[in-house]
Amino acid sequence: MSADSALPGGAISARSVIHDRGYRRYDGPRLGRLQIVRALLWHSFRSALGIGRGAKAKILPVIAFVAMSLPALINAVAVNKGNGQIVTYESYLFPLRVIVLTVFVAVQAPELVSRDLRSRVLPLYFSRPMRRGDYPLAKYLAFTAASLLLIELPLVLLYLGTIVSSKSGAIWPNTRGLLAGLAIGLMWAVLVSAIGLALASLTGRRAYATGVVAIFFFLTFILSQIIYQIAGRGPGGPVPGPGKGQFITPAISAGQRLASLISPFNTLQSLTKWFAGVHHIFQPGEGPVPDPGSYAPAYIVMFVALLAASFAILAVRYRKAGVA
Amino acid sequence: MSTIELTGVTRWYGNVVAVNDVTMTIGPGVTGLLGPNGAGKSTLLHMISGFLPPSRGTLTVDGAQAWHNPDIYARLGLIPERDSVYAALTGTEFVRSTAKLHKLPDVGAATARAIEMVEMADAADRRISTYSKGMRQRIKVAAAMVHDPAILLLDEPFNGMDPRQRLQMMDLLDKLGAEGRTILFSSHILEEVERLSGTIQVIVAGRLAASGDFRAIRRLMTSRPHVFAVRSSDDRLLGASLLSRPAVTGVELTGKGLQVRASDYGAFCREIAVLARKHDIRLLELLPSDESLESVFAYLLAS
Amino acid sequence: MSGIFNGTVASITLRATLGRRRALLFGLPAAILILVTLALKASHPSTADWPSLILGDFGFTVVIPLTALVVGGSVLGAEIDDGSIIHLLATPVRRSSVIMTKFAVATGLTMVFAAGSELVAGLIATGSATKLVMALFAGALVGSLIYNALFIMLSAATTRAIAVGLLYVLVWEGLLGNFVSGVRILSIGHYALGVANAIAHDSSLHAGLSLTTAVVMGAIVTVAALLMAMQRLASFSLRGDAV
Repeated sequence: MSADSALPGGAISARSVIHDRGYRRYDGPRLGRLQIVRALLWHSFRSALGIGRGAKAKILPVIAFVAMSLPALINAVAVNKGNGQIVTYESYLFPLRVIVLTVFVAVQAPELVSRDLRSRVLPLYFSRPMRRGDYPLAKYLAFTAASLLLIELPLVLLYLGTIVSSKSGAIWPNTRGLLAGLAIGLMWAVLVSAIGLALASLTGRRAYATGVVAIFFFLTFILSQIIYQIAGRGPGGPVPGPGKGQFITPAISAGQRLASLISPFNTLQSLTKWFAGVHHIFQPGEGPVPDPGSYAPAYIVMFVALLAASFAILAVRYRKAGVA
Repeated sequence: MSTIELTGVTRWYGNVVAVNDVTMTIGPGVTGLLGPNGAGKSTLLHMISGFLPPSRGTLTVDGAQAWHNPDIYARLGLIPERDSVYAALTGTEFVRSTAKLHKLPDVGAATARAIEMVEMADAADRRISTYSKGMRQRIKVAAAMVHDPAILLLDEPFNGMDPRQRLQMMDLLDKLGAEGRTILFSSHILEEVERLSGTIQVIVAGRLAASGDFRAIRRLMTSRPHVFAVRSSDDRLLGASLLSRPAVTGVELTGKGLQVRASDYGAFCREIAVLARKHDIRLLELLPSDESLESVFAYLLAS
Repeated sequence: MSGIFNGTVASITLRATLGRRRALLFGLPAAILILVTLALKASHPSTADWPSLILGDFGFTVVIPLTALVVGGSVLGAEIDDGSIIHLLATPVRRSSVIMTKFAVATGLTMVFAAGSELVAGLIATGSATKLVMALFAGALVGSLIYNALFIMLSAATTRAIAVGLLYVLVWEGLLGNFVSGVRILSIGHYALGVANAIAHDSSLHAGLSLTTAVVMGAIVTVAALLMAMQRLASFSLRGDAV
């Protein structure tokens, strides 16, 4: 009888007896911790890309993907015309990557972590049979996967666009380049999403989380570029080079090589240059990030330190349930 | 003496109709807006308070439209449901600022009076972030009352209040209503509305289901048959003697006991007790079968 | 207290905005600017052209817009987000007055942090109030004003104001502004640089607009943004609870 149903604050049914509606406890097999983490991971991955949410949630991911893919398309056109490849697999277009990733991480990382903090659902998560560390782990893996997709998909498009119009001899070098680029992209995704999530988890208000992440990435990026320029100015004065604000100096000073440590993005780019063995060539997308040379260990240390710090923040943040 | 007039007010969001062709007049005294969750009470209150335009129909407060008209707030006080106040301010500062925004001639006196009215004088100098839910509600009432409005709108004011605070708030609203103000509050709890208001407006699924005096509506409700499930030590005897009573319109012997149809809820409840004692029957179970708000509303709508 | 500025609204806004940890975020870019200037001063005492890079490029591209973004997003956005704006709006106060007052508070705060740090950093870098320093300070003041008008308008228009503002600063001004020169005419950063350049005439500022263009466009953008914000606030509506 429908009368027995409990109403939200409705009229009081004068029940003094507990009915047996056939409610049974579930005694069958239950999925374990792995499945919980997997479910959380899949759900977070979809959130990061705006899938399974309304149309508004998809706007930014779509913009990010389109923006990131533009150089691949332009390159395909250029190669078709016979102009040769203008965008490399290793660095892709560095300033574009920085901007797109900054915006993507700043806006989407809060979707993953700040929302849960704000709506205080963490106790709900932590009362399930999963370990405390599983939650940030799942979030991190999901966000890294999403960022990875954002970085690698354009590289694949670049590859396809190049080999489609290229002569058959160029397939193997292109493939090699692609694989190198994909590996480098993985390095990027790993660090950028760690920092983004760690910073975003500091607050439950999405707007402020976005602000913190954006300020961190953008500020350090610009600062690094400027310190590089300043470090490059010797007493004799620099020689103006191609493009706005770029200078070619005969020798790169220690200060210049170290300038990129200030910014995670520039650190990544330095490591990229080092791994790819690219020397000090100015291409349109390179930007003033030189090959670190003998300072490469410093960059490796910085990479590890940033990663470790981010993980530490995430671990500590979720130690208590009900974090507000 | 202020009146709120709604004529054919409708509000939709895309395909969802939140309020459907509501026509009513709300005058001085306390009026309760009653309805289940999701019925459209909040939407209606937001429209009356000028924070949502109706998609169709006219809505006037003392003859003036509420939407795009900040001047009505001189006569209107709103206590929204959301628990959102300026947490960084103290209670006094909050009420004081509201008083200043209303450009009251004597800010200090009005503030003190409003705080006194809600009995928050000793907590008024603490920050609102330290208040309990009931206290926040009361300070919101103080801020809404500081300019002595003729109309007061309260959205689910008793949510989260303990019984004592609820009584206090009810007494306050009672008093304000008796002073001739127009008080409109929304609730989904029958008892709250019953205690407080003379007039109620019942909203179900966006439509106005009933309006008028609460007791009259209750009587209308009691004219529908109530069904009870009864189990006793001697069902047959009890059933037979119940059938002799005027309040009972039908008795059925089922395998699990009696099913009794009664037209007068109150009379039946009294009489079954008397009968049971008279015939020395022990009552084991007496359950009203459909005393739910939903079924009441459904009945009201069907009629 | 009718008119443009409402003291009560101002004090509520100040209390609500500054009373939290997040107010630290307002001063962060500014603090970094000063620290970096100090560090550079200590290591490059002789070279005279690094100030315009730090104060110009870094200051104008990062410090001013990001400070304005966080401040401008907080004065209105936070209150709309948690619903406390209702208490302000359920009074006869003019919506235009609310916007203008919050705009004034936000601009004031941004000027203190962003323009103030520009001035301090400039004085540290050059040792005295040179033309460049004063020019950059003036540009910073102008930038603070116009950026805040834009971000307040965004706060009134959408719940994702900071995301949109970020897109504007990073993509429109940052990325496109460097590649497409036509973008300059709609770039607040360039209005600020135009003003600074008109005083200092320093080519390392890379200012693309003349003073007239900068002032006219800046004024148009500011007025348009504020009017739109006022109109949006006047139509502020509450959705009924979906429950």
